[in-house]
Parts: sequence; structure tokens; C-alpha cells
Amino acid sequence: MIFVAVGTQFPFDRLIRVVDEWAAQHEVAGMAQIAGGEYLPQRLQWERFMTTAVFNQHLQAADLIISHAGMGNIITALEHRKPIIVMNRQHALGEHRNDHQLDGLAWMGQLPGVYTASTQDELYALLARRHELQVTPLAADARRQALVDFIDQAIRR
Amino acid sequence: MSDKPKLLAISSPGGHWIQLNRLSAELENRYQVVYAMPAALFTSTSLSERKVYAVTDVSADDKWRLIPCALQVLYILVKERPKAILSTGAAPGAVAIWLGSLLGIRTIWVDSIANVKQISRAGRLAKKRADVFLTQWEHLSNGEDILFKGAVL
Repeated sequence: MIFVAVGTQFPFDRLIRVVDEWAAQHEVAGMAQIAGGEYLPQRLQWERFMTTAVFNQHLQAADLIISHAGMGNIITALEHRKPIIVMNRQHALGEHRNDHQLDGLAWMGQLPGVYTASTQDELYALLARRHELQVTPLAADARRQALVDFIDQAIRR
Repeated sequence: MSDKPKLLAISSPGGHWIQLNRLSAELENRYQVVYAMPAALFTSTSLSERKVYAVTDVSADDKWRLIPCALQVLYILVKERPKAILSTGAAPGAVAIWLGSLLGIRTIWVDSIANVKQISRAGRLAKKRADVFLTQWEHLSNGEDILFKGAVL
């Protein structure tokens, strides 16, 4: 099972289409969250939007998450210990307001369990070795704890 | 319970909200956290025990919504009288920072970890008013009014 999700803000037909076509070729089942997209998946089941509870159910049921390069889906996938492939939206194709998803791709790929693709070919190469994609539990939360403690002190001042 | 200081945690839905929750979850034992965000659809599962206000979403594409959003945030601030405001973005958080600072509330902005190359647009607006302005990237910090003290990941 795969779960492909594009967030809530904008459609991302390019991603949905290539994943749906791949799933059809490889007879893989899965679910797609497509937001306001015009392309309707033929092979995958789909919903436009989901509540968090339903979203998490689909995420749990999947072995692999494929997503736009959005932080929300990355954090949620890692918290559920699911490997995630992210593909960046492109400003030039009208897929986002700017190219911050491309800016973030290099460091996202350094997170264990996060795999990045900026083209269909790169995405298909990752899907070809999908059984090797691994996730490790989120590293000790030292960075988060430091930030929380600083915020706590900043409030109390 | 009620002797804990009150904190308003506000963000847009999606990635901003998930980052906000990774911070606020740790703060809930030290503060009485009240939440605000646009739309009720994309909420966390543990939301039932929490106090969450809905506000009108606003973005660069629909600036007119600033007015209802600001009125709603103002209502929340007057009603709840939080000691501090924490936001991870985007525009509704910047609105809360501005209004909070006018009301003398302590304001803290944590710019989204998605903004690797530069501070977000909403962040640049919030920075004019925020008491504490944090980036999640060391290279974006200047050690003065843009601080790096950690990250959600």
C-alpha cells in the first residue's frame, strides 16, 4: 500500500499523475489525497481532503508515503515511522507561490527516512527500490527540547 | 490548573500547525495552552481536551480576510488575556503578534523550518513586533534580533 498526499493549500497534479501511472503499471494499491487537483487517479483510490484522523489512518495503513515537500507530511510520516518520498513543487509550473520547497529539499533528504526527488525519473528510481527505503525512529529530541526550554524561559523572562 | 500562566498558540493549518503542536505539547504541563487556527478540519486527534478557537484564514492571495481574522484574534486576546502568544506562522500568527504587542502581551515567533533560505514573508512582518524572534536554522540567525535556539526536528 502506498499513500500519496499533496497537502491542503494547492493541487499537485504532476505528482498525483506520475504516482497513479506508476501504481497502475506495477499493480500497487493505495490512496491519494489530491486537494483541488484536476487529475483524478485511475488506479489509486482518492479523496480531496481528509480530517487528521482519516489522514492518519491512511498513513498507518501504508508502507510508503509519497508527498509534496511539505513539513507537515514529513513530520507526521516520521512520527509514525513511515518512510516518505517527497517531491518539490515548482514555482515555474504554478505549483506554489515560490520555490521554498526546492530550497528545503537538500536538508530534508538528510533526515533519516526522508527521500527526495525533484523529477519524475528520480521519483521512479526511488519507487523501484521502495522495499529498501528505511526509517529510523526520530532522533533524540535534543533540538526540540532546547527550543521548547528557550521559549519557556522567554515567556517567563 | 488555572494557576498556570495562559499561552495562546496560533498558526495556519498543515505544516505550521504540526510544528506548533510539537512545541506546545511540551509546554502544556507548564502553561494553560489555548489554541487558535483556521478551519476545524485538519485538527489533531487529541484536540477534544483542548480549547481551540477557529479564525478566518488569510494569505497573500486574499488579503481582505485580514479584517475578519484580526477581529477574531482580538476577541480571543481580550477574552483569554494570555500572558504570551506563540506562533509558527503564517499570516494569522503575524496578525496575533501585532495585536498582542499592541495589548502588551509577550509575543514569540518561531519561523517555520520549511524556510531554509530566508525568513518567511509572514515572519518578516511579525519581526517588526515580536518580542522574541526565532529561526530554526542557525545560518539565518544573526545572534541579535533573529535567534537560533533549536528546531522541531
